[in-house]
Formats: sequence, structure tokens, C-alpha cells
Amino acid sequence: MTDTIFTRDRLLFLDGGMGTQLQAKGLRPGETPELWNVTRPDDVRAVHDAYFAAGSDVVYANTFGANPAKYHGDAPLADVIAAGVGLARDAARAAGGARFVALDVGPTGRLLRPAGDCSFEAAYAAFAEQIRLGARAGADLVVIETMGDAYELKAAVLAAKENSDLPVLATVALGADGQLLTGADVDCVAALLAGLRVDALGLNCGFGPDRMLPYVKRLAAVTSLPIAVKPNAGLPTVVDGRTVFTVGPDAFASAVAALVDAGASLVGGCCGSTPAHIAAVRRVCAARRPPRAAPDAPRAARTVVTSGSRAVEIPFDDTIVIGERLNPTGRKKLKAALAEGDVAYVLREAVAQAEAGAHILDVNVGVPGLDEPAVLDETVQAVQSVTDLPLQIDTSDPQALARALRHYNGKALVNSVNGTEASMAAVLPLVARYGGTLVALTLDESGIPPTAEGRLAIARRILARGATFGLRPSDFIIDVLCLAVSAEAQSANVILESLRRVRTELGCRTCLGVSNISFGLPARPLVNAAFYTLALGAGLNAAIVNPLAADMMTAVRAFRALTGRDPACGGWIDAFREWTADSRPPAPGRRPAGAAAAEDGGLAASIRRGLKADAAADARAALAGGQAPLDVIGAAIVPALEDVGKGFEAGRVFLPQLLMAAEAAGAAFEVVRAALPPNAGGAVRGPIVLATVKGDIHDIGKNICRALLENYGFKVIDLGRDVPAERIVATARRERARLVGLSALMTTTVGAMEETVRLVHRELPGCLVTVGGAVLTADYAAKIGADHYAKDAMGLVRYAESLFAAAQ
Amino acid sequence: MTIDPTDVARYLLLGAHAPDAALAARIDALRTAALRVIRPARTWRRGDLADWRARSATLALRLAGCHAVYLACGTLGAGFDALARRTAATSAADALILQAVGAAAIEAWMDETEDEIRRGLAPGETLVRRYSPGYGDLPLAAQRDLLGFLDAPRTVGVSLTDTLLMVPSKSVSALIGVRKGSA
Repeated sequence: MTDTIFTRDRLLFLDGGMGTQLQAKGLRPGETPELWNVTRPDDVRAVHDAYFAAGSDVVYANTFGANPAKYHGDAPLADVIAAGVGLARDAARAAGGARFVALDVGPTGRLLRPAGDCSFEAAYAAFAEQIRLGARAGADLVVIETMGDAYELKAAVLAAKENSDLPVLATVALGADGQLLTGADVDCVAALLAGLRVDALGLNCGFGPDRMLPYVKRLAAVTSLPIAVKPNAGLPTVVDGRTVFTVGPDAFASAVAALVDAGASLVGGCCGSTPAHIAAVRRVCAARRPPRAAPDAPRAARTVVTSGSRAVEIPFDDTIVIGERLNPTGRKKLKAALAEGDVAYVLREAVAQAEAGAHILDVNVGVPGLDEPAVLDETVQAVQSVTDLPLQIDTSDPQALARALRHYNGKALVNSVNGTEASMAAVLPLVARYGGTLVALTLDESGIPPTAEGRLAIARRILARGATFGLRPSDFIIDVLCLAVSAEAQSANVILESLRRVRTELGCRTCLGVSNISFGLPARPLVNAAFYTLALGAGLNAAIVNPLAADMMTAVRAFRALTGRDPACGGWIDAFREWTADSRPPAPGRRPAGAAAAEDGGLAASIRRGLKADAAADARAALAGGQAPLDVIGAAIVPALEDVGKGFEAGRVFLPQLLMAAEAAGAAFEVVRAALPPNAGGAVRGPIVLATVKGDIHDIGKNICRALLENYGFKVIDLGRDVPAERIVATARRERARLVGLSALMTTTVGAMEETVRLVHRELPGCLVTVGGAVLTADYAAKIGADHYAKDAMGLVRYAESLFAAAQ
Repeated sequence: MTIDPTDVARYLLLGAHAPDAALAARIDALRTAALRVIRPARTWRRGDLADWRARSATLALRLAGCHAVYLACGTLGAGFDALARRTAATSAADALILQAVGAAAIEAWMDETEDEIRRGLAPGETLVRRYSPGYGDLPLAAQRDLLGFLDAPRTVGVSLTDTLLMVPSKSVSALIGVRKGSA
């Protein structure tokens, strides 16, 4: 049936609003509409009959909220779904002809992590149950609609594909600004859904048909799939506390006709639309045909990856930056952070690269001895919680790839597949299942060919094999592989030739890890920047580089400005507006213009005022002026911080100022530490394990404690928020932590705190637990068995100081 | 949507102290950043006065003399929380200030929402101060019915966690009584 029902060449008429029709029959706000399938079946059936009579080819069964996460009616869910599909089926039979019944799948009403607390797999399980029941009840297709979150949409589509053989139509509800509630736009949704291989996609609810027009035009430009529209009968307005829709059938139908002309081929209505609206649509549109989709030539086809809220195109005629820093190869600090579960460090690296101008971030957690599937999965989700950039999932472990790709919010860049049989057999089916754009490495069982010809041959083979999985050339970017020029004199020339030929002969986009070129040479950054410029000139589309390396970002910005890719040189001007021959880049936390360090008291004053960038600069100046590093710490940093801490305890300094001062001190300390010989910076005290307890997603208090502890010289392992007790215990055990700090903000989560305290004490005798949070008091802390109550962050620092001083 | 820096300072518990120049500059920068990502939404609808009075003595007290009650929900949207997560990854000071910015913003948004409701009142009607589940003896669990009645996940994108917290985090649900007389 798929072949006939979803097509861009012929119109298919859907039904109109169900909820608003039931409300007209007496459904009250807050009442469960799906319950009517068993309590008032005749009323539900009457709505279906009316839509078929009005000319609908497809009706949606009354199952929108019938998923186990949302449905709390008195009748069993299975009965409600079976009855709902059955009523629509009966109506279809009575109407005769080619009429179809869709299982209607709406959102769970829960917000997924990290925005909310529902896990991807919990949402998936809810949808899966609904879809299995609907398929068993005899639905002809699955419709996923009114989705406001791309991540939940992905869970629903996967559930539909993996739990039935039915065709899938997925539509989303845009807000007035053309975005989903969690920020995705039409490009983002289209790329995600095409990657997941839905049969048709589109828009429903949100607003009226006239407002849908620009978004339907955009959809038609970015997808070749059939497009569905189900607009509301205008914008809802509240009259006398009741929601009403004001666009009548004729106005509705002529606006829907414009959507058909723009490319929609499945048309119906949502809230406020009635059988009269659908009859009018059928009348006005009957003779129309949607315009044909643009031909899908490989060069014209877009290559897009997405996060949950942002689509990034890898254009054929331009270039983007993939941040390489979340890769532990050769990076000791990251390796340690991954091994310890120090999420905070990883997240800081992610944000720094995003702020430096990266378009996509590479995530690789390949540390020997680590459970890569688990750690990659967690790291990808954690990084997605702090950036809206799409990620490049970088692993050679197919299991790790499968898990991370499944839970990734969006359509990822996948690094990588190569020309070996094992790699193609493992990776290509995963991308066919979960969507993704693939980095294809031009190597195979015999290694990396020395010539461009050899590398192209492998690329051709990967593309051909990809085609058997339904992957097109635009689903790949070809990495022609960068070998050190110090080892192979022709390396750079072969790379440049390969880049050119991949583009002209294969019509594919290109990718390269640029900095390998300088391996074994002195002054590597200089070689890298020069080679990067050459590679850009040869057609490099996606460079895996360090976006914090100023030379590299300068190279790509200059290239884009010089080759007409930066309109009016706007990007260049924005980046270098404040450049002078000896300038340092602008940063937050600088003293007002005109105030010099000397006249306002130097480093100590910068710390007291909480000026981060100034404090770092002042520390640098002090070292340049000949002060010994330990003197800078002892004479300026420590006294200034102590001063502010005492001011806070005396009520003269307020919390934001305390934190700003602590961060300024931290910035200065970083500068000084770099000037010290290794291990001369004084012993680091700790570690202290911090977490917000299970069920609680408030982490501001915990973060304040972390910042202050770190800047007072403690090593902190921050496990984040909503952390199960078992994980806290496991980490404290592994790290031999003597102190665990727990935070909870809500009365509803203090129970989880009590349980965690109990588990720590039972499993780790000798490990102390300090607790804090808005609802706690010293008495209550004692009652739940905690060893200490942290009244505020400074109190925690004092406690930790006394504890670790006593220990030394 | 406006965010008053004085309100932000109040939520930072600065009391009568004015922020110094460095703090004022951070507040200003974070206000600007927040305004770029806030996508405020709200919904309200007349509820069942007798039912809500029966649920809680303290709420009944607040609704004394009222002849109607509005249920309302407002939010700054998921974008603000995303900004807060990003900020928390880099600076606890900025994260703290941003929380205060968000608190000031959602309270201002709810005040505006009340103004909107007020515009729809009959002459001689006035609103009493808003009330929320979790206050007095009205349990937090009442959020389920309040948000369900408003179809809040769909209309404004606000839903509840298992532990009855509203997400996005900068959201407010409220019961607002209507009575005869001047404010």
C-alpha cells in the first residue's frame, strides 16, 4: 500500500480535527478523549463517518494520547486502542472504496532529557507499545503528529519502524517563529526524518494554513519525500475562557490549495477544522496536482547533519570546521577526565570549541580499558546538553557506534566507515537504520593507497556498497587521509590531488584531519595553517581541526573572505574588528577601557572585583615582571581570595561576587601553574565527589560548590544532576574519595538523598557525606544520616579544609 | 518581554546593595543573552472554582469572596534552560546570575499574563493574588490536574517530571481568583 498511498504526484485527503469535534460533543478540558472509544463509541464513529462523507481518504483513529506514558484512563490501553482503530476501520468499510485508517500517535506529554527527565528509551518503549497494539488492531499506517521536540520525534519514528511494517507519516507542530518547542526548524526536522526513512513528512497544528506556506515551501526545497499538511482552522483565540478557531471552510480550503501548489500532497486539517472544512478542501483541490519534486542529482542533493535544534549543511562549495578537541589521542587531561567520569571538563571543552566557531564537534572516547559503548553514549548525551552543534560520533567500535547513534539527538556525522569489508558490513546498516552522514576513509585491507587514483577507487567502492543500503553520494563525505609530510614527501601533493578529484570525479564532499600533516616537524602550528590553506584551495569541505588554534581559524576565515564565500567579508570583520598588531582577543571579565592594572591595584584587585580576563593578564604581567610563580600565588592570589571569602562570611560580599572572584583567582592560578615546574603547585586536595541526587534536575547549588572548591585547590569529580545512588558509590569507591557532597532542591527528592547517604555509609565505611540544598536544615541533614550540613558553598569549603587539613 | 536589572539584583539576594560595576556588567550581558533565547508562552482558562476550593483550605482562603478562578501557566521555554546548561558548564557565577535573570523574567511574564487576564474581566471585577500548587496545604501533586486541564504540554510546552517539577524549569503555574470590587 505504501506505493500508492504516499506519493508526491497525486493528492491524498486526510481528515480534520478530532479533539475539537469531540469537545463539540461534550468532551471536557482535562478529560481523556481516547476513553470515548469505549465509553461513547458512537460519537467517535460519527466523527469518522462525517470525515469520510466529506471526502477524506484517510482518517486518524482516536488514539492520539493512547501511549502508556500519557494515558491514565480507566479502561485498559489495549482495549482503547483496539476500539479506536476498530471504529475507524468500521467507518472505512462503511464508506467503501480505497479508505485508510491511521494509528494516530501524539507526544507522550513528557519532556525528554536533558530538557526534562524522561529517558529516550522510556519514550521509545511507550511509543513501541502503542504502535504494536495499533498494528495488531489493524491500522493501515502509523501517523506520528504534533511533535514539538525532535528527540521525542526520533523515538517515535524508531518505535514505528522497529515495531511494525506499516508506512510512517510524521508531522510536527511549529510555533509562531517556525520552530519546535525545543528549537528545531524545518531543515532540521526534514534531515532527521529523511535519515530515519519515514515515508512522508510534514506539518500539523500550530497555526492556520496561510501561516504554513513559507514552511511548506522550505520543506519542498529540502526534501523529496511526500509532504503532508494539517493546519488548524486559524490561530486559536480565547473568547470567554474558551478556545475558538475562526477560519471558515472556504477560506481554509483556498489557503490549503496554496500549500498544494507549494508542494504538499497529503492534505487535511487539525484543531478547529470540521468535515465542512475537509469537504471544501476536497472541492477546491480536487483538480490540482502538486508540483513535481526537483531532480535528486548528487551535486544538488544537500548534505546535512543536525542536533536537536540546529541543522548544519556541509555545502559543496564552501567549508566548515569540525572541532577535534574531544578526542583523547595525545591529550592527557581529557584522557584522565574520561577515565574519572569528570563530565564537567568534557563539557567545558565542548563549549569552548563552539564559542571559537566550530560548526560540528567530534566526540571520541577511545581510552584503553574504558567501556567504550557506555562512555561514548553518556558523553554524546552530555555534550548535547550544553551545545546545539551537531556532533561527529567518532569510534571504530560498531557496538559503541550503534548505541551512541541510537541515542543521539538528531542526525549525526559518523566517523567513520572505510573500504574494508568488516567496516562496511558493520557501519553501513547502522546509518541506514538511524540516519547519519558518513565520513568515508579511503583505506582498505591493504592500507592507504599511495596515489590519488588508489584512494578514489576505494571511495568508489564504498559509495557503491552504500547504494545497496539506500545511501546516496550526498550521504558521504570522503576523507582522503592525511599522512605526515615528514615521512612521505609527496603526501601533501597526493592529498591535494585527491581532494580535487573526489569533487570532480565523484561529486562528493571532502573531509580531512589537517594537523597530521606536520607530525614529526618543528613549529607544527605554522605547517598546519599553511597546509590548511592549500587544502581549502583544493576543495576541502570539512576540516577536522582545533578551533582554539588561532592560526587555523584565521586561515579558514581568510580563505572564505578571499574567495567570495564570506558575504561582504562580514565574518572576517566580526572576528577581527578589534584586532591590532599586538592585540589579544576580546574576552569577558575585562576592566573598563582606560583603567590600567597599575592604577587599580593589580592582580589582587582584579580578583576581588571578579575580573577573570584581567586577573589572568595581571598574573601574566607579574610573571613577566620577574615575580616568582609561588610569590604570585602567596602574595596576591591566596590573600585576595581569602579576603573575599571572609567578606562573604561577614555579609559584606554577596554570592555572585564571591563566585566571580573565585573564577578570577582560578584564571590567574592557571597562568601561574603553567609557569611552575610539574608537581610544584602544591598538593591538590581531595578528591571530593559531588552530585545532585536522583530525580532532581536542579544543579545550580552543586555547581557553585564545585566552582568554589576547585578554586580553593580541591580536586572535584562532578557527576552532574539526577545521579543514581549506585553511580555515586561506584565513583567514590574507584576514586577513594573521603568526601561525597550531595545536593537536592526539592522536598520530593530528599528521599533520594537519604537513600544515597545510606548506601554510601553502608558500602564505603569511612567516606563522609555532606548535604546541602534549599529545603535542608542542619537538623534534617542529621536526621537523614549525613555527616555534615553545608549551609552554603563557603561553609562546604571550610568543612573540606578542616577535613583535609586534619588528614595531612 | 522585559527584564528589570533591579529585580535581578533582588533575586541575587543583594538586599539594598547596588551591584558593583563588574557585577552590573555581567548582569547586563546575561540579560541580553537570555532575551535572545527566551520564547515565552502562556495559556489560561477558567477553571472549576468549587473543585479547587475543596482541595485546599489555604487556597479556599485565598479564593474567599471570589466567584471565578482562572488557571494559568507561563514559561520562558526550553531555550532558556539550554542556555543555562551551557552557562553552567563554563561559569558558576554566570550560571547563578542567569538563574536570577530567569526568575525575574518569568515573574515579569506572569505579571503581564495577569494583566492580559484582567483586560478580559467584566467591569467591576478584579483579580486576587496568584496561588500555586506546593503553597500552603495545596499539594504539589495538584500540578497534574492543573497542567492537564490546560493541556500544557501541547499549548505551552510545559510538562512535569516524575518528581512533579515543571520543565522547562522557568515555568509558573497559577490559580488566580476573580472577585467583585476594586483591586
